[in-house]
Amino acid sequence: MCFFNLWWIFVCSPPQGLRFASTTAGLKTETEVDTSENEVVAPNFTNRNPRNLEQMALARKERGWKTTWPKREFWHRLRLERTQHYVEAFVERSNGDVVVSASTREWAIKRHLYSPKGVAACKNLGRVMAQRCLEAGINFVNFKAIIPWEHRCDSIQEFEKAMEEGGVVLHEPRRIYR
Amino acid sequence: ATESRQGVLVRGRGWKGMVFNTPPNPNPSVILISGSLCGLGPHVSPPLFSPLPEEPQTDIGLPHERLSRAKELKERKRILRENRQNAEMERAARLRTVLIPLEDVRAEWERTSGPFHKQRVAKHCGVFRDLFGGATFTPWVALRVQYSQEDEHLVPVYYGNMVTPSEASSAPAVSYEADKGSLWTLLLTNPDGHLRDADSEYLHWLVTNIPGSDIKAGKEMCHYLPPFPAMGTGYHRFIFLLFKQHGPINFSQDARPTPCYSLKMRTFSTFDFYRKHKDAMTPAGLAFFQCQWDSSVTSTFHQLLNMREPVFEFVRPPTYHPPQVKFPRHQPLRYLDRYRDTQEPTYGIY
Repeated sequence: MCFFNLWWIFVCSPPQGLRFASTTAGLKTETEVDTSENEVVAPNFTNRNPRNLEQMALARKERGWKTTWPKREFWHRLRLERTQHYVEAFVERSNGDVVVSASTREWAIKRHLYSPKGVAACKNLGRVMAQRCLEAGINFVNFKAIIPWEHRCDSIQEFEKAMEEGGVVLHEPRRIYR
Repeated sequence: ATESRQGVLVRGRGWKGMVFNTPPNPNPSVILISGSLCGLGPHVSPPLFSPLPEEPQTDIGLPHERLSRAKELKERKRILRENRQNAEMERAARLRTVLIPLEDVRAEWERTSGPFHKQRVAKHCGVFRDLFGGATFTPWVALRVQYSQEDEHLVPVYYGNMVTPSEASSAPAVSYEADKGSLWTLLLTNPDGHLRDADSEYLHWLVTNIPGSDIKAGKEMCHYLPPFPAMGTGYHRFIFLLFKQHGPINFSQDARPTPCYSLKMRTFSTFDFYRKHKDAMTPAGLAFFQCQWDSSVTSTFHQLLNMREPVFEFVRPPTYHPPQVKFPRHQPLRYLDRYRDTQEPTYGIY
């Protein structure tokens, strides 16, 4: 859970002449009671949304782990796992929780493919994964957890191209420190 | 001299007596193991966190009937065998030209693994924690919500995508599959935007006793209010909940007057609302979007809510320093500056 306290400043001038003009005294007191309490606002605001800080690029990334690989400096990481029989893609957080996943093990994808492994499978998995990431609101993803000599192979290149064409940006913005 | 850590040069004496300024470990039961020790190989990282034993979560959703697994498997194996005998598919896979139809894949996904994926994303966005106090449900009913714009453009709401307040200024078109004669309740709530109390939500829309999937025929207990996330507060979640009613329910206690622009009347708690009616309805559908401040929010505050617009500023938590030690080892003079209440630097003054 990430909380952050906010200070507030009144910036806008109060709206002039926008109150409802009513003839009956009763109606007027109702609208006054209704909306006069709206102005009472707590000075500190807390936003409980766990994704808020990371979407504003203010959340902390785990900056340690400099002597091991892959590093944990990300909010969301895209991991492609190619096993002997299937191809799977996961978008996960630095604590390991999987947020969005797609795999050729799922019936929805498997039924349209001739083989659940291979370059064609990786390419189509990329298209499906890009669609699911955008639907989940994940627009920036870290794709550094691949070994360089594996990164150059056709299937991973096709997967990367499909993700880029799907609209997901494969590098995360830098955290705002100041 | 090997590396420098926080400006201090460490002599090649090993790690004895080093002060590591690590942030406090939020989970003391984490055991950090390297990949090679796990036997996983040098390039595979071990599980990033030793998994905590998860408490069993209460499931408040609809029961799901599974069709006969054997028949399903037989059918799927038949389709896969046909695929493998299809020469065109084999050629397309070999020449890497195959492009699977994404709409069909999505439709099939919504039927099979969609609800589980949506539940997972909702759990990570804290929906269950904030609305139901930890109890989860699997959204078996696919809820399709679309905001229509002036230029016939449709902005859909999935599970966590970004929608601006100007796009969400009027009530959306909601559709879902429903049996004839069934009753539903639709609720739109914002758990993040409350300006007075951090634990309560704002009710934006409540339609009850909806027959089938016809929203217009349902009784609107609270009319639609466009989203108003205040400036500087970041992204707020706006969550659509669809409840399946077991019979007609009397919601007169939750009725709000029309028009209702009083924030006090719109203050809401889904937990109490669901607890009141939990015997008569179950959550069945879920859709939510993230929303940030927009210029249309100013007009919502001024015209609809009739109040001055509050503007907030982000306040960073103070930087962490470990407890002060009387004789700090290998620390520069500015060590004292970190613990002084006033801002008197001991360097850069000459």
